[in-house]
Amino acid sequence: MRGGERLTSETAFEEIQRHYQQRDLAAREWRGNGGKVVGYFCDAVPEEMILAAGLFAIRLSGDPHGKTDVARQNVIPRFTNREDFVHSILNMLLTGEYDFLDYLVIPHTRDSIHRLYQLIAMMKDSDPSLNLPELFFLDSVHTTFFSGGLYNRDRMLELKESLEEWSGKEITSEALSRAINITNENKALLKRVASLRAAEPPCISGVEALQIISSSMFMLKEEHNKLLRGFLDGADKFPVRNGIRLFVSGSPLDSLQLFEIIESCGATIVADDNCWGNRYSNVPIDTSLDPFEAIADRYHNRSPCSRMYPMSRRLEHCLQNIMEAKAQGVVFNVFRHDAAEIWEIPDKTKALEEKRIPSVYFRNQPYLITEPEPLKTSIGELIETIQRSQ
Amino acid sequence: MTSERGAAQLESANAIRAYQREWLEDTRQRVKQGEPFAICNGDEFEEVFNIMDIPVIVINYWNSIIATKRMTEYYGDVLINRGYPANYFAMGLASTIDNNPETAPWGGLPKPALIIGGTKSDTEMKVLEIWAREYGCPFFPLDFGLDAVPELPKYPPPPRWWEMMADHWDELIDPRRLDLRVEEEKALINFIEVTTGRKLSMAKLEQGLELLNEQEILWGKARDLIAETIPCPVSLRDQLAVYQAQWHRGTIRGRDFIKAYYEEVKERVEKGVAACPNEKLRLMWMAGTPPSWAKWAEEEYGAVCVASLFSSIPIDSYYRATINGDVMRALASRHMVLFLETPDWRLKDAEIHQCNGVVETANPSIPSFNKQLFEEAGMPLCQIPRDRDDEEVRAILSDFIETRLLS
Repeated sequence: MRGGERLTSETAFEEIQRHYQQRDLAAREWRGNGGKVVGYFCDAVPEEMILAAGLFAIRLSGDPHGKTDVARQNVIPRFTNREDFVHSILNMLLTGEYDFLDYLVIPHTRDSIHRLYQLIAMMKDSDPSLNLPELFFLDSVHTTFFSGGLYNRDRMLELKESLEEWSGKEITSEALSRAINITNENKALLKRVASLRAAEPPCISGVEALQIISSSMFMLKEEHNKLLRGFLDGADKFPVRNGIRLFVSGSPLDSLQLFEIIESCGATIVADDNCWGNRYSNVPIDTSLDPFEAIADRYHNRSPCSRMYPMSRRLEHCLQNIMEAKAQGVVFNVFRHDAAEIWEIPDKTKALEEKRIPSVYFRNQPYLITEPEPLKTSIGELIETIQRSQ
Repeated sequence: MTSERGAAQLESANAIRAYQREWLEDTRQRVKQGEPFAICNGDEFEEVFNIMDIPVIVINYWNSIIATKRMTEYYGDVLINRGYPANYFAMGLASTIDNNPETAPWGGLPKPALIIGGTKSDTEMKVLEIWAREYGCPFFPLDFGLDAVPELPKYPPPPRWWEMMADHWDELIDPRRLDLRVEEEKALINFIEVTTGRKLSMAKLEQGLELLNEQEILWGKARDLIAETIPCPVSLRDQLAVYQAQWHRGTIRGRDFIKAYYEEVKERVEKGVAACPNEKLRLMWMAGTPPSWAKWAEEEYGAVCVASLFSSIPIDSYYRATINGDVMRALASRHMVLFLETPDWRLKDAEIHQCNGVVETANPSIPSFNKQLFEEAGMPLCQIPRDRDDEEVRAILSDFIETRLLS
């Protein structure tokens, strides 16, 4: 935020957009001031612990518009799901775009993320001169059973120990509680954003919401909370949006491309089932429990990722959110070789048919959408279908 | 008996082939009479079912039967019609969705009491959950199943890891993951006992592991004879057909199948029987099914495929010694890590089989996982775009053999 500027909804959103577009801005500033930066993937890494350690947490994203040439020269692409995303990340790591990272925590989530860990570990091993961050593999199970929860808890303890080593200080329960309060406030504010987006009529677009939510993962949480409060202060003056209410489900979206295409057709994405979107802020941490245990519990039982068993939980979660947002139609978007998502779509489509909610399915999508017209045509047809039924 | 075209099929291999067909019919009858039947992902848990006398079909084996019967395209369409991708791992699911005993190989599978599989890949976990739902039976997911790529914490794995797998497997496997896996497998055994009424004891488990290890040792002895004998005494087709005995490991029958195989191979070596009397060059084929161009290569160049991706898996990967007398842990370790796919392991196989060259299918625009190490070690490697006996593949192989192996 520019110094001394009064924070209005407009200026707050401008600042949010700036951090969404320049995702390394806050991390580089932090590091420039002598702090250490911890990168991570997915929404499965406990940011609260990183914050409590006094380190800067930043979720890494790929760049669909970016190059992949250096990665492709260095990688033998075996068993790689979502190759274009994996190569994008590797390229950014190898060409210095992520040179501000001191550490990188990679969770055991989707196959593509697991593969990223193996590739980065292999590169570090084969060429120690590469400027790659120190790695921590946060192992976890893909079931939500009690015994798996205990396993995950033990791995969280190991992460805590590593964070303490990296920061040179103990992570106390008080520090964890403070961090939980900050992230819980963030989640509560993001829920207010979600409410305005799902309001009738909505007064926040999906494109705006995705930037607001995602930027939380690129900034200091206190700063983001400040921006959110400023943004929400003017909520009663937000212009309302007309148009068909759509819900988007599918592969993780670390860029605005798809949302922009959909909303350019006159619809509003009133909610989504995405770890860069609403799912990030769905579940707060229980403050009545011991803070470490509460964090471990929350990440074991968070809103279900498509990589988790069972699928029925995913289906229920998705349907519940569609109904709560009063979506009139659904867009399923699955990236090429995203095996975690692709098997769920028939169940979801069938359930929607039973509820007479029309949907459209974009399968085998490239990470970079170079031909938006066919998607726009399909969205247009979906909108027409909904309008005819009204 | 050796003819101009080489030795007849192994009797031991034919016995295994015949038994597999009988086994499914027998299983169908047993299920009709109320006995339980299980579907299990390969190398995940199936020997425990064997030890409990619960017939179990291994998913990759069932998929391979579907492929052999040329049903993959048909079942791919079945999946697509349901909105799923035409994924090879889901061929069994497709046969269940299709629910047509007239078209299914062997008349299709009987209804299982449960399906077992790992959560190790995005695809596997989903397919098995859907498959169980189609049958209306439980799916019991196990964490940290077998992975084809090197796993934690030994990444990259130590050189010559295969020499550690039998007796020092504990140094190759994450003990924290193994602790959980043992707990999950104990819970699964309880679940099977409750749902099927079958019982398991430590004595039976110990006996099963001993039989399993005996079977793999005999397999290793047969492998050694095949590798060291020129000309090769056993066709690759027979070597691979014998692999079906792996689905009966942990039983007397499984052990005896491979005992008969070893004795027949030994007899052939002693009598000087050759699979291909015209053998002039030895090749390693980097796949798990016989190459479609094998006959052409033998007749044209005397180039015989003597080894495959499966040649050393039994002895390098399946055998597990118990450590501190913990049978459950030894078995669970097997279920977590079978082998670590590394080029040095494959190179070792090509070398011990005295191969002149190696052939693999690969996209020429993608770097080979193995090529660099193989070429540095003086083991020529040929990439063909597909396993098909067509003009393009023959031209590539001819060029490889003539310029790299015969020049």
